[in-house]
Amino acid sequence: MNATIAGQMTGADFLKLRKKRGTLIWALVLALMPLLIFFIVRAAQHSSNPLKYEPAGGLHGYTDALRLLAMFFGPLAAILIGTEGGAGDAASGVFRDLVVTGRSRVALFTARVPAALGLCWLVVGVGYALAVIGTYAFASGSPTPDGALLANGLGFSLLSTGVLCTVAVGFASLTTSRPAALTALIGWHLVASPILANISSLGSSRRIVLSQAIAHFSPVNLGDGGRRGATVAMSQGTALIVLVAWLAAFFALGAWRTRRMDA
Amino acid sequence: MAIETRALTKRFGERTAIDGVDLRVPCGSAFGFLGPNGAGKTTMIRMLLGLTHASAGSMKLLGHPVPAERGQALQRVGAIVEEPRFHDHLSGRENLRIIAAARGPEVREGIGSALARVGLAERADEKVKKYSLGMRQRLGVARCLLSDPLLLILDEPTNGLDPGGIQEFRLTIRAMVEEEGRTVFLSSHLLDEVEKICDAAAIVDRGKVITQGAIAELAGGGARHELIIGVDDAELALSTLDGIDLVRDVHRSDEGLRVVLAGGVETASQVNASLVRAGVGVTRLEPVRHSLEQRFLEVTSRLDAPLGEKEEVRA
Repeated sequence: MNATIAGQMTGADFLKLRKKRGTLIWALVLALMPLLIFFIVRAAQHSSNPLKYEPAGGLHGYTDALRLLAMFFGPLAAILIGTEGGAGDAASGVFRDLVVTGRSRVALFTARVPAALGLCWLVVGVGYALAVIGTYAFASGSPTPDGALLANGLGFSLLSTGVLCTVAVGFASLTTSRPAALTALIGWHLVASPILANISSLGSSRRIVLSQAIAHFSPVNLGDGGRRGATVAMSQGTALIVLVAWLAAFFALGAWRTRRMDA
Repeated sequence: MAIETRALTKRFGERTAIDGVDLRVPCGSAFGFLGPNGAGKTTMIRMLLGLTHASAGSMKLLGHPVPAERGQALQRVGAIVEEPRFHDHLSGRENLRIIAAARGPEVREGIGSALARVGLAERADEKVKKYSLGMRQRLGVARCLLSDPLLLILDEPTNGLDPGGIQEFRLTIRAMVEEEGRTVFLSSHLLDEVEKICDAAAIVDRGKVITQGAIAELAGGGARHELIIGVDDAELALSTLDGIDLVRDVHRSDEGLRVVLAGGVETASQVNASLVRAGVGVTRLEPVRHSLEQRFLEVTSRLDAPLGEKEEVRA
């Protein structure tokens, strides 16, 4: 398969996702609405009592907005898009028609990943733009992030959501059921991961929790303490290995299932 | 051969869905794969297309062994498996773009002509969820045509079509075979459909191919040629026919005299001439058409018989 065909297949997968209006709207709602609410509420608090409440924007506001986008709601939007990208063909019944083209099943799976990432990053990019606008619009004279931090923040948002999106594509391709994949991944991300990270008796085995590894790449401290918001201590090298292991595992599982399943 | 299988077998656990099928589908013909529901038709098609793995045996599509050269084999194959499925949130044209992207850059240029060919050009930009079943079937055919297929594999293609749609579909298939030289492999449980569309067929039941051959041969069973002859003087006609070597047997029926010919049906004119010379007024001369339905019921009902008798049928 040459680059032209790979590009066309990715474009076709992107078209499927982009036109899935429900998924796109909910992903945008998840990426934008919490930030809007955050800035509006904080701005109202600050204007009512500037001595008690910090400005909604500025460096503090940026850090909180980045936490919302990169660690909570952005990943949820990524899971939404990733599961649609991974299970969409099977759910619609079109997978068998794609197989009948003679194109390799692994190629069919592989095209889903950049397509889902493309839409995910588009949505997260819009969310990040809103965070930056809010940071400066509501700074009220407080310090603001410099260009390097903004670039690192964008990179972190894309990394965080990109990893979750790819895992979601792989997992949804593995289960071939979007509802099952969506429920499992949101449950894992919002419920299981924080609980596991806080069970100190699990010790260093908690390093395999994905959100803990992701937090180590944050350009700002996203939580209390010196671990950039992560509960579990690990080096950046270890965090990188954990990320790559998650990506590789779910990519391989998704590709394996797509190759083996009856269409 | 467009399709060639040898001892093709598919097992689901203990159950054998396809049992050692040998099939030969010649190029440039419409071939029916005829069998009752649950006979294994769709499973056979799914194996041919690589949608599911065969448990044993070998197969070739357009001369390419499958699955070894599956990619090459399917380049010039179009297929509808069960009912055509689409992304309902996309338009007809966009659905074809999805498939064209997987087939290759040159295929995309054929989307417009494929849509026009099936009469969907004007509604190609509507979302598929607004399409009727008939329109979906036509869009399925357009999707098949994208690859300019040498071989079309169609699984129960007229399901859900109204009589007008079925007639239109038959004409389209015949045109593809006769005018464009394509091969069509059509699975169906509808005898009438296979008889009207196909040149040859295989009758399948419970995963086994019971018999295969040209439609006329299959329908004719033992290749017995019969005539129904209407006459004004039955006694004179009977005595005349008794003296004709070309007549093997004759008896009265409600429709007239039923005559079994020793030769082919082309000898009917000689029989007619003999009757006229003898002074018999011939009011009707009609070859008896043995329907595929008769043959189908004959061979499939024999499957309920004990094993020994089944083997006789297969032989």
